[in-house]
Amino acid sequence: PLCPKFRGGHTLFIIIFKYVCSARLPRGAKLHVVDLRSDTVTKPRLEMRQAMAQAEVGDDDYGEDPTVNELQQSAANLLGMEGALFVPSATMANLIAVMCHCRHRGAQVLLGKEAHIYVYEHGGVAQVAGVHCQLLQDLPDGMMDLDKLEQVIQQGHGSRYHPRSELVCLENTHSSAGGRALPLQYLQEVRELAERYGLRVHMDGARMLNAAVAQGVPPARLAQHCHSVSLCLSKGVGAPVGALLAGPRELIAEAWRVRKLLGGGMRQAGVLAAAAHVGLDRVEETLQRDHVNARHFAQGVQDLGSHICSVDPTAVETNIVMVTVSAPWLSPTELCERLAAVSPEESAVMGHAVSVLAFPWAQRSLRAVWHCDISARDTQLALDKLRFVLEACEQEHREAP
Amino acid sequence: MEELGQYHIHGEVHTTQQSLPLEDHPTFLGNSTALLRVPAARLPRGAKLHVVDLRSDTVTKPRLEMRQAMAQAEVGDDDYGEDPTVNELQQSAANLLGMEGALFVPSATMANLIAVMCHCRHRGAQVLLGKEAHIYVYEHGGVAQVAGVHCQLLQDLPDGMMDLDKLEQVIQQGHGSRYHPRSELVCLENTHSSAGGRALPLQYLQEVRELAERYGLRVHMDGARMLNAAVAQGVPPARLAQHCHSVSLCLSKGVGAPVGALLAGPRELIAEAWRVRKLLGGGMRQAGVLAAAAHVGLDRVEETLQRDHVNARHFAQGVQDLGSHICSVDPTAVETNIVMVTVSAPWLSPTELCERLAAVSPEESAVMGHAVSVLAFPWAQRSLRAVWHCDISARDTQLALDKLRFVLEACEQEHREAP
Repeated sequence: PLCPKFRGGHTLFIIIFKYVCSARLPRGAKLHVVDLRSDTVTKPRLEMRQAMAQAEVGDDDYGEDPTVNELQQSAANLLGMEGALFVPSATMANLIAVMCHCRHRGAQVLLGKEAHIYVYEHGGVAQVAGVHCQLLQDLPDGMMDLDKLEQVIQQGHGSRYHPRSELVCLENTHSSAGGRALPLQYLQEVRELAERYGLRVHMDGARMLNAAVAQGVPPARLAQHCHSVSLCLSKGVGAPVGALLAGPRELIAEAWRVRKLLGGGMRQAGVLAAAAHVGLDRVEETLQRDHVNARHFAQGVQDLGSHICSVDPTAVETNIVMVTVSAPWLSPTELCERLAAVSPEESAVMGHAVSVLAFPWAQRSLRAVWHCDISARDTQLALDKLRFVLEACEQEHREAP
Repeated sequence: MEELGQYHIHGEVHTTQQSLPLEDHPTFLGNSTALLRVPAARLPRGAKLHVVDLRSDTVTKPRLEMRQAMAQAEVGDDDYGEDPTVNELQQSAANLLGMEGALFVPSATMANLIAVMCHCRHRGAQVLLGKEAHIYVYEHGGVAQVAGVHCQLLQDLPDGMMDLDKLEQVIQQGHGSRYHPRSELVCLENTHSSAGGRALPLQYLQEVRELAERYGLRVHMDGARMLNAAVAQGVPPARLAQHCHSVSLCLSKGVGAPVGALLAGPRELIAEAWRVRKLLGGGMRQAGVLAAAAHVGLDRVEETLQRDHVNARHFAQGVQDLGSHICSVDPTAVETNIVMVTVSAPWLSPTELCERLAAVSPEESAVMGHAVSVLAFPWAQRSLRAVWHCDISARDTQLALDKLRFVLEACEQEHREAP
């Protein structure tokens, strides 16, 4: 089978794919890959490619790309904001937001220590924007303790000895917490707290549409409690590239300048915006399906009743499943390797060769993410593969000297 | 205007858009509001408006072949290094430029910013560049704002070069001195935009590199339009790049792709550049859809740019042949696809001239037989800039010349009759 070569930083998967593409597969066997590493892997389908090919474009730097303009307008409407800006990535959307909210030297932003902005965005807040990060503990459900948040704000409030608290960043859904949706009540309370001290609220809403679908509310209901929101188009929405930053008119005007500063100003970007339109048109049903599949998998893992790994299905609110790997003799990395690998034995037993890709996450967990390229059948295959691997692991462990 | 054509995606036939009659023409929005609004009501009923857009080579729209390639592109998650089309583009670009590696980024602005951040990694650095350099003037001061690097400015000579003696003086002044930022990088711009698309001589590139080496500095070339330089000088792009530690190359200008640019350089620099790109938020996912367009553009770039240069030169020669008192051009200074028109009449500003070139009227239709709107940018106090690209044909070029003649005659007449 012709497997795409994996180049890049994830050496684990270079190893896995060498293993997978090895001579160990039975001759003529077809390899089926269930890629649960992230919802960023989605590839554009026919309708999206068609839209991209036919997109009416112009020079977006001059404001002349009608497809981008339409997307930005639609997004603003969807999110109940005055304006929106199309950018190459959600990372940039968040960075721009911080730079727009914190325009004076000596600012600090309050956010969780597991926040994507803090952990996975190269420290851009500090490196590029010169803004200090004041970290709060993330609760298991993705929220921050509001009393502690208020304490931290008060500590610096009006004090010459502390950076000025200017912004609170929320993450919804919260990735590290396993795709948890922040309760609407919490969003409101954070906004009220921020208002009391003159802070702004930015929501890293890369997956906010997952939250909206899970909670059965329009996206604008989530966004209404925030001064600005970022929204990723290349995850569940399924577009190949891009993200949006939405907020008040003045913020978006400043955001345009910051986007240019960072080098995110593109030209005939309508080719990308067209894909986003298609993705957004059908996003509700898409995400609903992803959530159903994720829940099915989680329930299936629980039903396995394995000693090796477990899942809390009640914590699966959207498209992410965090699997706890409790057996001390098996690391999440090894389990991921086993899930990705295929063998003649598996083909003989299962009747097919399925490679399931997921990421080891923390010390004792792995993460699996559902998206539009994963069907219900894929989900079942992944479950079957997991069962097969767990049984094999158990057997080897029992037989080990 | 879009070509009428058919293309296939996955076995299905699709048709591109047709050109639009005036009534349905998209209104121009944007910052240069005066220039960009075509007074539609003043055209005779049913008249077709023809726009010759010489504002910039960034306005190029993807044609059929490019759209086809984009639609059929094999993609993957480029963040994981799994987009084969991006990987291919980066490899081809590295080969084309004689560099070890290349990185695909959303814009040439980002490519330049990344380069500065990779070359100047220690606090207290300074970069030496011309005061008309795009990096200094049109990139929002990112070098300072984002990278914290000091800009040490040199005067740009009319041909786009810097005076090498002055450059050495400035380097020496700070060399080993505790009182000055550390000179780490020299930035060149090729072709030089503000100088009118001038190509830097190969000899000069070599001398800059030798000078930089003597003091331990690196050389980055803002080569947004370096392929124009290579074509004009009749050399492979690698010949230009060989004197530089890194080069940036824009794909959305003469190359004609909708989005993107490349940064090329040594392996270690590109590895660091990847991190910086992520830091800035330029890491994209299935970017192969964009890389596919770049491939198509690069495949035929030599003939494309050659044609742009011929058209630009034809226009410049035509302006000179007009022998007008109002404006003039030095055809010998037109080396690539940019023509700087000097507006010498004190009673006419470049902005007004651009407005007149963009506007259409029933009189023009009556005299010329058609309505042509020519878009260009006023540049300095006394000049305007016109840029050729793949969406401008030889016919468009002639129409632009005719329009200029018409406007100049009208301006002269009004000036003579003015009270």
